[in-house]
Amino acid sequence: MSDNFSHLYDLPGPQGRRRILIGSVISAIVLLGIIGLGVWQFADHGQLDGDRWAPFLQWPIWQYLLVGLLGTLQAAALTAVLSAPLGALFAVGRLSRVRPIRWIATAYIEIARTIPVLLLVYLMLFGLPHYGINVPTIWKLVIPLTVANSAVFAEIIRAGVLSLPRGQEEAALGLGLLPRQAMSYVVLPQALRSVTPSLVSQLVSLLKDTSLGFIVAFTELLYRGQVLSAFNHLLIQTFLVVTFIYLVCNGSLSAVASRLRSRTVRRGIRPPVTPDLTPTAQKAPHA
Amino acid sequence: MFTSTSNRWRAPLVAAVFTTVALTAAGCSSSGSTAVPGATSTAASGSSDALYKNAIVAKAADILPNSTMAAIKKRGKLIVAEALDAPLLSQQDPSNPDSVTGFDADLAKLLAIYIIGKPNVEIVPPASETREALLANGTVDVVFNTYTITTQRAAQVDFAGPYFESGLAVAVKSDNKNIKSIDDLAGKTVIVGANTPAVTAVPEKQPTAKIVSFGTDPEAVQALTQGRGDAYVQDLTLLASDAVSNKAIKVVGQPFTKEAYGIGLKHDDSDFKKFINSWLVKIQKNGTWGKVWKASLGTVVDSKIPTPPAIGSVPGS
Amino acid sequence: MNVLIDHLGDVLGALATTLVMFLIAGIGSIVIGVLVTVARVSPIPLLRWVAFAYVQFFINVPLLALLVLAIFALPDAGLIAPLEPTAIIVLAFYEAAYVAEAVRSGVNTVAVGQLEASRALGFNQMQSLRLIVVPQALRAVVQPIGNVMIALVMNTALAAAVGVVELTSEVNKINLIEAQPIAIFAGAGIIYMAIALVIGVAAGWVERRVAIVR
Repeated sequence: MSDNFSHLYDLPGPQGRRRILIGSVISAIVLLGIIGLGVWQFADHGQLDGDRWAPFLQWPIWQYLLVGLLGTLQAAALTAVLSAPLGALFAVGRLSRVRPIRWIATAYIEIARTIPVLLLVYLMLFGLPHYGINVPTIWKLVIPLTVANSAVFAEIIRAGVLSLPRGQEEAALGLGLLPRQAMSYVVLPQALRSVTPSLVSQLVSLLKDTSLGFIVAFTELLYRGQVLSAFNHLLIQTFLVVTFIYLVCNGSLSAVASRLRSRTVRRGIRPPVTPDLTPTAQKAPHA
Repeated sequence: MFTSTSNRWRAPLVAAVFTTVALTAAGCSSSGSTAVPGATSTAASGSSDALYKNAIVAKAADILPNSTMAAIKKRGKLIVAEALDAPLLSQQDPSNPDSVTGFDADLAKLLAIYIIGKPNVEIVPPASETREALLANGTVDVVFNTYTITTQRAAQVDFAGPYFESGLAVAVKSDNKNIKSIDDLAGKTVIVGANTPAVTAVPEKQPTAKIVSFGTDPEAVQALTQGRGDAYVQDLTLLASDAVSNKAIKVVGQPFTKEAYGIGLKHDDSDFKKFINSWLVKIQKNGTWGKVWKASLGTVVDSKIPTPPAIGSVPGS
Repeated sequence: MNVLIDHLGDVLGALATTLVMFLIAGIGSIVIGVLVTVARVSPIPLLRWVAFAYVQFFINVPLLALLVLAIFALPDAGLIAPLEPTAIIVLAFYEAAYVAEAVRSGVNTVAVGQLEASRALGFNQMQSLRLIVVPQALRAVVQPIGNVMIALVMNTALAAAVGVVELTSEVNKINLIEAQPIAIFAGAGIIYMAIALVIGVAAGWVERRVAIVR
């Protein structure tokens, strides 16, 4: 863990250390007991039987799921690449001194954040072809996700800008830079550097939101997991495997985010108060 | 900003490289052929190939100029809205993702052969609330998705057929001796599939039954075996297939409704409707329909080939 | 939109379920999230590690997979409960991870001097956490917690996939009969947006009232 909360308590003396040791041992016993009980019951119901897990030792099944993961990653990467600059644009717009620009940016951000992404996907699916616009499947997912995520990115970047010491902007203006130049040469680069961990964490949320792709028939991991479970009638095992894949994939992204965070802290850039994660909602697949 | 040669990047970099290699291997390598438990018998797919070889193709005169069929023939493929996770009806084989087999899937391929000459089908799995819209805006040509014909739907889309008649039946846990049919379900908890006809049919027959709906069939079966409901009401053939692969449940009684499935197509496209209906009559007459049924739904039901329903026999078709 | 008005009784009933789920899961997630953060900052390494693993697990796994596992896999591990309570509990635990992250960054904003002063005054760790750290941390992160609550409302819709009768599943049922997806789902979307707006405004109002002006 990268954070150190030792300022919250006095370093424990011998009695304190003993108490901590006792507390740790008791918690460990209780925890292991609960987990052990659960696993034992699970095995008792036959869910750990070899023949239920045997299908997952075969490469074609993993290939099927990993191709789904590929689709998920593709959609997430596209969305990230598109919504990052868009988000920066709207963040700067919301901080602008020009009132109409500020209003437009604020309106966009507030609406795009509260509108259910599912609705936007329906709009892409139903509304656009009505007017004869037909885009490839991946865009029917990426465009609504971009709209929603650019608003979230905008808020994260804006929080980063606001957390920067005001002296930076004042010094830049004092040196004769135009407000526009101060923003793009001094403020924005530092703000982006300080919120990079939050942005990477938002990527994790984005990866999970790509499960909306089932509505536009986009090949992604969660839907493939459902098709697989319909095929092999092994609901629990399939979903456990899919959960594992998500854990590994998103977990590594989160690990990257926390390493970035410790890096920025070490470089003395104050991270903003707003937390790394602004979860956007996910939607239900139905049969 | 961050140099990639620094030590702290080594582990994530290795992980990234490994993941990319694995994903590329997954994406590029040819699919394996090892059998997976739960697969429908390979004998069935063998006979499907024989079906496609002898499938009828429309005469050039039938394909009217400027009609939907002509456009499909020109495009070279038929775009069908059908599921990928409906065993026996249209199920994708994960070890061979290009292969989608089942009653609906095979009929769609036969229709493609009829129009184009080759079974070129592009599948768009619909969420059930999107079927009418997908037809209306031309994203798909037909819907082959156990699409029940109702008058409300007929106001938005056209139905060719009906091409199959089924019914809702009741499944219970194998050791349940009390429930023998839908009539025993008064006041009980009944599991249904979320967007299936059972959602409305069960309350009609048993207003006091408590309805619990689940998104997919495997979930509903699991819920039944776990005791989250007393019975599971679903299409008879789906239940039969579940009972075959899961000894913990059994089907009781006879189907208590009649569900007529139709081929969904765009509203007011009467040329296409006539075209498909004439194709349906032809394959029913020459036994192809029966062969398709036998290769898919017939594998779990112990009866002879049923008579297909008469075209246009249901309001809305 | 007339379609929804025709079925107004059912829609309102389902909306009530959604709101009940949201309120219970919301309060639950804030309570659990604060407890997880307390564990995260405690001197016992094991508790810190468990809290870290908890947050990592729930943040990295999609909610639908969690719901399916909780409703179908947990009974085989010995824990079976009715659908709606299970869904509420899963939602509470899931959003608690996000709340925990938010409160953790809030803890970072509490000035070190506050804690030094509390130690000088003789507070033990529990007291300084309860009286000084957590109240200030919460007040600093009202907006982020508001965002988590908005996401929670949208996520209650996922419970429809596992059998809970709430707004989205009711609307799906109506669509099955009426077959007018655009009107029906636009209507449902507007209802969700209205709820999200109310939460956003409420969060802003709470923030203005409790914000710590330094």
